[in-house]
Amino acid sequence: MKKILKDTLLLASLMILVVFIISIFWVGITEEIGLVLKLFGLAFVLSIVNYLLDEYLSLSIIMSYIVKYFAITGIVMLFGFIVRWFYPSNFWMAFIYVGVVMVLAYSIDSFRIKKDLEFINKKIADRSILDKEN
Amino acid sequence: MQIITRQIKEKPLTVIIEYPELNDSVSNLLKKIKSLDVEFSANLDGRQVKIGLSDVYYIENVERKLFIYTAKEVYRLDATMAEIDDMAIDTDLVRISRTCIMNTDHLKEIRQVKNSHLEAVLDNDEMLIVSRKYLKDIKKAFQKGLV
Repeated sequence: MKKILKDTLLLASLMILVVFIISIFWVGITEEIGLVLKLFGLAFVLSIVNYLLDEYLSLSIIMSYIVKYFAITGIVMLFGFIVRWFYPSNFWMAFIYVGVVMVLAYSIDSFRIKKDLEFINKKIADRSILDKEN
Repeated sequence: MQIITRQIKEKPLTVIIEYPELNDSVSNLLKKIKSLDVEFSANLDGRQVKIGLSDVYYIENVERKLFIYTAKEVYRLDATMAEIDDMAIDTDLVRISRTCIMNTDHLKEIRQVKNSHLEAVLDNDEMLIVSRKYLKDIKKAFQKGLV
């Protein structure tokens, strides 16, 4: 199921990107196409920041998410100001948008880590039983 | 699977594998046996020594210098992390953080410390910090049956 969801999201992203890029040749960069390209641009920047934080920060899971929350909110706000998504009156909404995404990501990550640890430790236990038998 | 062992004094250690067809299990077995032949040239107090893969507990990069940790000794290794990563393919060595590669053959348990760090406990009770980013690589190694 996880693979199907992942593939669906990837395929949808690819379809949106291809359809909108081809449309540029006919209608130019409309407001909708511009928004999609900006979202892809923001996702690219956030992915780079996320990669660098994972690679160079060695913090606890909660601390790592708190650092990411502020870093990503800062980038979203800055990006939002540059592309005029936010105005001084509503910039705080970035905290809510990013907060919701981070809570979901943290929950999924915690669940995945728990499952991975169970899997690995079970394999180690099975290996120990086999070693004892031999 | 049949296991036949016999002592032939004049010959070096020889492993012959007979199989009806080359499937994943046979390939994994071959990789596992080949990995037993992996050796590292390291330094201890100025003398060069060979360390077999099975003796390696983990390899750590400390200020751009590599060290091999066995059960009792620490050796200086003249190589880069990238070279070790290449050597680690199809062996029990798995990267667990930016600076550490662990031999999963000596892994006793991985646990999460109070919703905080991940910790690998080795069979000599030494503990290593595992980066969450590399947990899926450890899982993959177990899934592939390399371990």
